[in-house]
Amino acid sequence: MTGNVRRSGPPWSVDLLADLHAGVLDPQDEAELRAAVADDPEAREILAALDATVADLRDLPPIPVPREVADRIDAALAEEFRRAGASPAPTHQPAAEHVAPVVDLAARRRKKQLGWGAGLLAAAAVAVGVVVVSTQGTPTSDPGDNVAQPTSNTPVTHRPLAVKGNDFGPVFGDVLKAQNYGPLENQDKLAGCLQGANIASAKPLGVSPITLDGKDAVMAILPGGKPGAFKIVVLDPDTCGPDNPNGVLATSQITP
Amino acid sequence: MIETSQGSADTLFRVTAAASSDADLIAAHAAGDPHAFSELVRRHRDRMWAVALRTLRDPEEAADALQEAFISAFRAAASFRAESQVTTWLHRIVVNACLDRMRRRQTRPTVPLPEAGPGEPVAPRDAMAERETRLVVQAALNELPEEQRAPIVLVDVEGYSVAETAQLLGIAEGTVKSRCARGRAKLAKVLGHLRNQSADANVPMSDVQVQQGRQLEER
Repeated sequence: MTGNVRRSGPPWSVDLLADLHAGVLDPQDEAELRAAVADDPEAREILAALDATVADLRDLPPIPVPREVADRIDAALAEEFRRAGASPAPTHQPAAEHVAPVVDLAARRRKKQLGWGAGLLAAAAVAVGVVVVSTQGTPTSDPGDNVAQPTSNTPVTHRPLAVKGNDFGPVFGDVLKAQNYGPLENQDKLAGCLQGANIASAKPLGVSPITLDGKDAVMAILPGGKPGAFKIVVLDPDTCGPDNPNGVLATSQITP
Repeated sequence: MIETSQGSADTLFRVTAAASSDADLIAAHAAGDPHAFSELVRRHRDRMWAVALRTLRDPEEAADALQEAFISAFRAAASFRAESQVTTWLHRIVVNACLDRMRRRQTRPTVPLPEAGPGEPVAPRDAMAERETRLVVQAALNELPEEQRAPIVLVDVEGYSVAETAQLLGIAEGTVKSRCARGRAKLAKVLGHLRNQSADANVPMSDVQVQQGRQLEER
C-alpha cells in the first residue's frame, strides 16, 4: 500500500483508520498515514471514536461465575480427584484406567470423617462427570500442548429409582444426571410446588421421578448455597402446587 | 510408604494457602494435594466465566465449556510446563473449549436472542446512566460476528496483549489486529461514537439486544 496512503483520503475510510488505530499497517504506511491525518479534524474524530469504543469495552464489569456453575465444576473436579486416587498425575498412563496403587491415609481419614456425605458427593460428582464427558464430542482443534483429551464415556443406565426412608444416597447420582420432570412435566410446575412449600426456587441440578417408600414421587436436587452442598426435595406430583404447603414428602440437606 | 504419603500430603495442604503462586498450586496438585487445583480454579473461574460467556453468549454453553476446560486442565496439569504462565495456559484451555463449541455451533441455526423491550433506550448516550451504557456495550458486542468478538473480548475487555490473544486463538498477531480493527469500527458506529459515517461498518441498531445485555450483567 506504500504510496497509496496519501491517495486514500480525505475523506478517510473508517476501516483504514481502524487499521491504523489497531497497528495493522506496516511501519512505513503507518507513518505516512499518521502524517496525512494529523491535521484532519474528521480523521482525528474517527480515531477518538475508536479510542472511546476501546474505553467502553475496557469498562465492562466483571461477570462473577454463578453459584450453580461453580458447584457443578467443584463436583466434577471432586470426582476427577477421586478417580485419580491420591495422585492426580495420570499423564503417564490412561486416565480412565488409572487407579492409585497407594491409598492416602489422610484421604481415607477424611472420607471416614465425612462418611455418607462424602460418598454422596462422590456419587454427585460421578453424575456430573458423565454429563461432561458425553457433551464433549469430537475435538476439532488442538486444545493446547498440555491439554488432555477426554478418555471415557460411561453409559447412562435406566432403572427404577426407589428410595426407602431418607436413604437418598443410592439414587442421588442418577437423579443428579437426569432432567426428567416426570408427572411434573416442566420447571414451571416444579417451581410452583417449591413455592407452595416455601422453598426457594432454583433450576434443579437434577430431577427425576422416583418412588419414595413405594409411592410415586419426583425428586429434585437443588443447589445448596455453597460448593459441594445440595438440597434434596421430594414432591408429591399429585398434590403439590403453589397453594399447597404439604406437597413435599421429604427434604434433605447435603453438606460437603 | 503410606506414612510418607500422609506426611507429604500434610505438607502440601499448607501449600494451598492464599499466598501460594499459581505455579506452586500446580506443583502441589501434581504431588497429590487434593485442594490445590480447586484453589487454582477458584482464583480464575470468574475471569474465565466472563470470557466464556462473552464469547459464547449462551450461559448453558459457557457453563459446559468451562467445566470441560477445567477437567481437561485437571488431567493435564501434571505435565504442565513451567515456562508458560499458568494463567495463559489455563485460559488457552478455556478459550479452546469455547472455540470448539463455536465451530460446532456453526452447523446449527443461531439461538435467537430475547427480544428487546419496546422503547429500550439505545441512544442518545448522554442520557444514559453508566449501567445502561454497559448494557448497550455488551449487547453491541454480542452482535459482532464470532471471529471478531473473540479477539475483542480478549484484547479490549479482558486486557490480554495482542501476542497472548494470538496464542490463545491460534491465529497470527496481524489477524488479531485486523479483526479487532473491523470489530471496533462496527462498535464505534453502533455505540454512537461515530457520526455521519458512510462506511460499511454498519450494524442495524434494531438488532442490538439490550435485554440480553441486562441478563448477562445480572448474573
